[in-house]
Amino acid sequence: MSGYAELHCLSNFTFQRGASSAKELFERAKVLGYEALAITDECSLAGIVRAWQASKDSDVRLITGTEVKLTDGPKLVLLAENLGGYQQICGLITTGRRRSAKGTYRLNRSDLESLSEGVLAIWIPGQEIVHRHGQWLASQFPNRCWVGVELHHGADDAQRLSALTALGHSLQLPLVAAGDVHMHVRGRRALQDTITAIRHHCSVADAGYRLFPNGERHLRPVSVLENLYPPALLAESARVSARCTFDLSQLKYEYPHEVVPKGKTPAAWLRELTYQGTQWRWPDGMSEKARSQVEAELNLIEELQYESYFLTVHDIVRFARSQEILCQGRGSAANSAVCFALGITELDPTRMSMLFERFISKERNEPPDIDVDFEHERREEVIQYVFNRYGRERAALTAVASTYHFAGAIRDVAKALGWPPDQVSALANCCGRWSDQVPPPERLIEAGFNPDSKPLKMVLVLTEQLVGFPRHLSQHPGGFVISEPPLSTLVPVENAAMKDRTIIQWDKDDIDALGLMKVDVLALGMLSAIRRCLDMLRRYQRRDLTLATIPAEDAATYRMISKADTLGVFQIESRAQMAMLPRLRPKTFYDLVIEVAIVRPGPIVGDMVHPYLRRRNGEEEVTYPSEELRDVFERTLGVPLFQEQVMRLAIVAAGYSPGEADQLRRSMAAWKRHGGLEPHQVRLRQGMLERGYTEEFAARIFEQIKGFGSYGFPESHAASFALLTYASCWLKCHEPSAYATALINSWPMGFYSPDQVLQDVRRHGAEVRPVDVLMSDWDCTLEALDRRMPAIRLGLRMIRGLAEEVGRKIEAVREMKPFTDIVDLCQRAGLDQKARELLADADALRTLAGNRHVARWEIAAVQQPLPLFGNDEPQDSVAIPAPTVVENMHADYARTGTTLGPHPLSLLRSTLRTMRAKSSYDLLSMSDCKHVMVIGIVTGRQRPSTASGVTFLTLEDEFGMVNVVVWRDLAEQYRAALMNAKLLQVKGSLEDQEGVRHLIAGHLMDRSDLLAGLDVRSRNFH
Amino acid sequence: MLWACILLPQLAMDGVLRNQPDPNQPLVLLSGPSQRRVLQAINPTARALGLRPGQSLTTAQAMTEGFSTADYDVSEVERWQQFLAAWAYGFSAQVSLHYPRCLLMEVQSSFGLFGPWPRFQARLRSELDGLGFQHRITLAPNPAAARMLSNCGDGVAVTDDRSLREALNPMPVEQLGLPEKAASSFARMGLRHLQHLIALPRDSVAKRFPAEVLLHLDTLLGRRPLAMDFYSPPDIFDTKIELNFEVDSHQTLLFPLRRVTSDLAAYLAGRDSGVLRFSLHLEHRSLPDTVVQIGLLSAEREAAMLFELSRGRLEHQVLPAPVLAFRLVARELPAFAPQHQQLFDQRPQQTQSWEQLRERLRARLGDSAVSGIGDRPDHRPERSWSLETVGSSTAVCGPRPAWLVEEPYPLHDTSLRIISGPERVESGWWDEGDVRRDYYVVETRAGQRAWVFRQVGASGPLMPHGWFS
Repeated sequence: MSGYAELHCLSNFTFQRGASSAKELFERAKVLGYEALAITDECSLAGIVRAWQASKDSDVRLITGTEVKLTDGPKLVLLAENLGGYQQICGLITTGRRRSAKGTYRLNRSDLESLSEGVLAIWIPGQEIVHRHGQWLASQFPNRCWVGVELHHGADDAQRLSALTALGHSLQLPLVAAGDVHMHVRGRRALQDTITAIRHHCSVADAGYRLFPNGERHLRPVSVLENLYPPALLAESARVSARCTFDLSQLKYEYPHEVVPKGKTPAAWLRELTYQGTQWRWPDGMSEKARSQVEAELNLIEELQYESYFLTVHDIVRFARSQEILCQGRGSAANSAVCFALGITELDPTRMSMLFERFISKERNEPPDIDVDFEHERREEVIQYVFNRYGRERAALTAVASTYHFAGAIRDVAKALGWPPDQVSALANCCGRWSDQVPPPERLIEAGFNPDSKPLKMVLVLTEQLVGFPRHLSQHPGGFVISEPPLSTLVPVENAAMKDRTIIQWDKDDIDALGLMKVDVLALGMLSAIRRCLDMLRRYQRRDLTLATIPAEDAATYRMISKADTLGVFQIESRAQMAMLPRLRPKTFYDLVIEVAIVRPGPIVGDMVHPYLRRRNGEEEVTYPSEELRDVFERTLGVPLFQEQVMRLAIVAAGYSPGEADQLRRSMAAWKRHGGLEPHQVRLRQGMLERGYTEEFAARIFEQIKGFGSYGFPESHAASFALLTYASCWLKCHEPSAYATALINSWPMGFYSPDQVLQDVRRHGAEVRPVDVLMSDWDCTLEALDRRMPAIRLGLRMIRGLAEEVGRKIEAVREMKPFTDIVDLCQRAGLDQKARELLADADALRTLAGNRHVARWEIAAVQQPLPLFGNDEPQDSVAIPAPTVVENMHADYARTGTTLGPHPLSLLRSTLRTMRAKSSYDLLSMSDCKHVMVIGIVTGRQRPSTASGVTFLTLEDEFGMVNVVVWRDLAEQYRAALMNAKLLQVKGSLEDQEGVRHLIAGHLMDRSDLLAGLDVRSRNFH
Repeated sequence: MLWACILLPQLAMDGVLRNQPDPNQPLVLLSGPSQRRVLQAINPTARALGLRPGQSLTTAQAMTEGFSTADYDVSEVERWQQFLAAWAYGFSAQVSLHYPRCLLMEVQSSFGLFGPWPRFQARLRSELDGLGFQHRITLAPNPAAARMLSNCGDGVAVTDDRSLREALNPMPVEQLGLPEKAASSFARMGLRHLQHLIALPRDSVAKRFPAEVLLHLDTLLGRRPLAMDFYSPPDIFDTKIELNFEVDSHQTLLFPLRRVTSDLAAYLAGRDSGVLRFSLHLEHRSLPDTVVQIGLLSAEREAAMLFELSRGRLEHQVLPAPVLAFRLVARELPAFAPQHQQLFDQRPQQTQSWEQLRERLRARLGDSAVSGIGDRPDHRPERSWSLETVGSSTAVCGPRPAWLVEEPYPLHDTSLRIISGPERVESGWWDEGDVRRDYYVVETRAGQRAWVFRQVGASGPLMPHGWFS
């Protein structure tokens, strides 16, 4: 007999309906011997690329389609017969989605009237059969319409079958069997019920008849179907399936044409632009090495026909440059001489002493990948440029299919099982934020749950099934897809949550799989800060530099880095990074590349940090498992640190092809969630043994690859980041006040608050001057420029709650004529009461009024300006008490988040000294010491997932910071103090390892009362 | 005139605590949306665990366990205010709830009845302690001053304007009851205490601050009367105790019963009346309240007697389900002189309404013998109906017999004729009542139509689950 093809099947991309992934569905269909499987997600093709891949893996043919429910008509399954049909379906979905809010669609009968040849329709009549729907469909889809018969052991299947048969006869429509499949096996019934309840925002117990009565909507064995359906109906499914010859591989992507001027070929135009660029980059003429590199790259690009890609990225970067928006490309293709010449990257490839992997792999035959970072505050301009240049029809953002992580899944599942909200939250809090794993039983017991209880087990089992399911489509932060014809002929386009943003239904992996071009337009705060700093240096005529011309390999800069004096620079500013710097002591640019990549979960979990450090410090011999691998690992002293090295290793040591190595990279990223590394384990082991490596070496390498997991950092990205790291360090080293000013003006960004940045720059000897309406601009500025280290004048932006518009107005009005008094200021700058009070409280009126109390008193008397009469009220002679030091400190922190007066701890220092507390300054002159007590303001609490329950605390006092390590048990013991204390007392032992100092806590105590005690005057009544 | 202010610093907490068997158990009241519950109020033992108001519940749970939680209910707070006002009305004819969570009462006129202030105050305190409400009591020559003094201490009593000035002078501006904005403006001008404000020229203040600032200061110093509404007692007593767990024994209900009857007694004493009839409402999770009517031969108001009477009635009441809340409603509150007539209601028997008939049937046959019937949306037939009317829902399922068999038994009839089926039902995994059955409509040899099932995949005999009439 002829086989069966399932023509109506939802995957989990029909969110909260489909209870199985495409992979599961296809694997099951393969086992059951289905001839083909249609994936017909509801008004969506978001899951179709995954289905296509699953179909290739399982060797079961995919039919592309969609299920739609018309607002004024029947429910239908539409199938793509050929490419034309596919394009019509994409267009239809786009229509339905674009006119409706994110996540919903609206389609009417009239929308289907334009569909022509190429689209097949299966009518899914409801419980009540509406005859006229059938008539309409029969006329709309001549010879392309079927009546779908879906039997699920309902009330009376026999009666239903005969009713539909009669219907088919009267309408002259053929009948076809279909399954309305929602899951791959019956065992997903509980999950299907659960997601149904989630969709309806109720519990399963309350979902009632919104649940399916039974679990029949799964892929059923053909033998079972043969007992249910007449043979003709099953045979018809195979006939329909045979008509659908469309395959996603038929899609042809076309680059946008406008990046090439009329009459030129892309290759010639790229060559022309590149050589224009080389003259700009190397004004004194380029070296022979550089020239040959450019030539080689251009030839390879031409051979692979990637010119349009480079031209498109160049076009975007050219726009940014014309608007003076700083940008920097990264990714494998970005570190090329061509990209340097085109201005896509600022990293001079000849500057790298180490050899990079080939920037595009010829064998892999996938499009090159360049991410471009732009200044975070101005990226929107770039995005709008892309939309405007190519039009919304042809440019859209890619989607991100947000998937369920454990915490989110357990929340939804527990709620659906009727757990009370507080229990649900408590349960979700047991799971790490991004974890996909069942929380360990200790954690559950700690939170008061019994891991063996039946209800909890039920929740955990369902949650595990749900983890990894997509839950909705959101927009990628900046991944653009641009094409020559309208995108909706390629993929459906829908609305994003943000107004005026449209996204395609595919994510970046889908796009990779189909070979579409994608450009990532990303935002990076550090670029804003660097651009501001360079601008400032130019404006104040101190230096004229660009990212590319900042002096390379500067010894002073590396000295600063080696001392871990890196607060506020790019990437190497975190506490873990700072702890590494004195051990690694970077001396060259490539050391920075390693530093950026090494303090990451991948190398840490894979235990590669310490071997590297030992080898670098000469404590361990640098060895290579083989001579061939020396090439791969020489630059990292024989220790695998980068993703690229692992791929090379697979090629060199295990005989992988480059394409297979790339597969390995993808599996590495996904194995934790989906598994799938096992075939590679066998492959790698075998390959290595064949090439003479030891069993033990092969096993160790595999463990390292597993440890790398999703965290392995690519060298190509590390190099681009390292460039910004170097630039920011150079600026901090040579122009500390300008750099601090630029950082604050770009805030919020980075790790540290403006207060911390200011304290740091003051410790380096810069003078910081207070906010003052007579001097301050909106932004922070530099003064006393003749000094080696100019002074920083705080800007009005420091005043919390003050609108930018108000600050700019003050700046502009003062430019015309300085303010004579408060009345003059209020009137000319048009200050409302709120702005006046903010300025007074921030002590920005200090020069006009004397102090913040008087300022507040005076502005209270300023009337709204009267147009005709001057405001010359006599001053009241009232004695207003001047603020005390402590009052000023409190007000400074409350209004501007920083104080230029004494640090709170310096006010407490004499008390602390009597308590025998050491300051961070005292600690500097101490070496290992068993019993130390410090008291400081808690500025950081971190509990990294890689550190097995250790909490890292940062305490601040008037001299600097103290790093505290709190082991898990202690943290439990002093939980309240650890979580609540503003001012914390820590007793413990001081440890010093290679210049990295930690206080290992042994006892914690909340001393916030001391801070409160400072404020004696307002507390004497409590 | 002298005014007492009774500030109730943790009214909401006390309202919940007084219904707890052990008020020393750590307890927190929660507010905020269900995704982010916040500790609104905490009792001292919870404070000792390190919990603080304003923390999120998650933080609190991360810090410690072993505290119980209850909802912070604004309407409850309002109810307790009314209750305490009624109580205070027993001591003074001028009681006001002008300020929230606070009772103001004119007391000088009552000194004759209740003794001089120290004794009077002691009595107020001991009664409040007995009722279970934390309090601060202050006395001042005007109500606004009494209220503000209670911000900074308990037991302050000033009786003349001069000592009032002395008491008020050092008070921080934040505690004077000024509009928040004005108070913070003063503080930011460095003017932190009342004495600083009083020293300012009036026109300087008038120029800078809204008029209500000077008005309020005048009121506080007694230069101007405070306009306020006075409390007048309501004619219904209605109080409710939420039980924190499901109670199914009469014994356990006696504690809340004692509470509500003594509250009723306090209330009756406050308005000098008695009660002739009242009802106890026992609330259940899904069943309607069980109502126990209690009628008295004469109007009464003595706590012990009300308790004993109610207890007798309550103990005879069958509890159909665990009790979640306990409520006492008294509507007939005549003056303390008894009125007998209402007891002898002599309507003819023929006019008995359906409700009365039902009650009679219930009384005769027992409560469980009479009930309503309704649909529940559930695919499992045995759970698709319930004894109480839940509302009707339309099932997308086949014909269902009206008569379901309580316990299906095997049907050994070899000549069954299958009319339709199988209809498959697979549902209910979430409450340990998972079923997987194939249902058929069959006709027996005798011509009866039965609705029978068999486990999916099993081959045993068919089990009738119902009969079609």
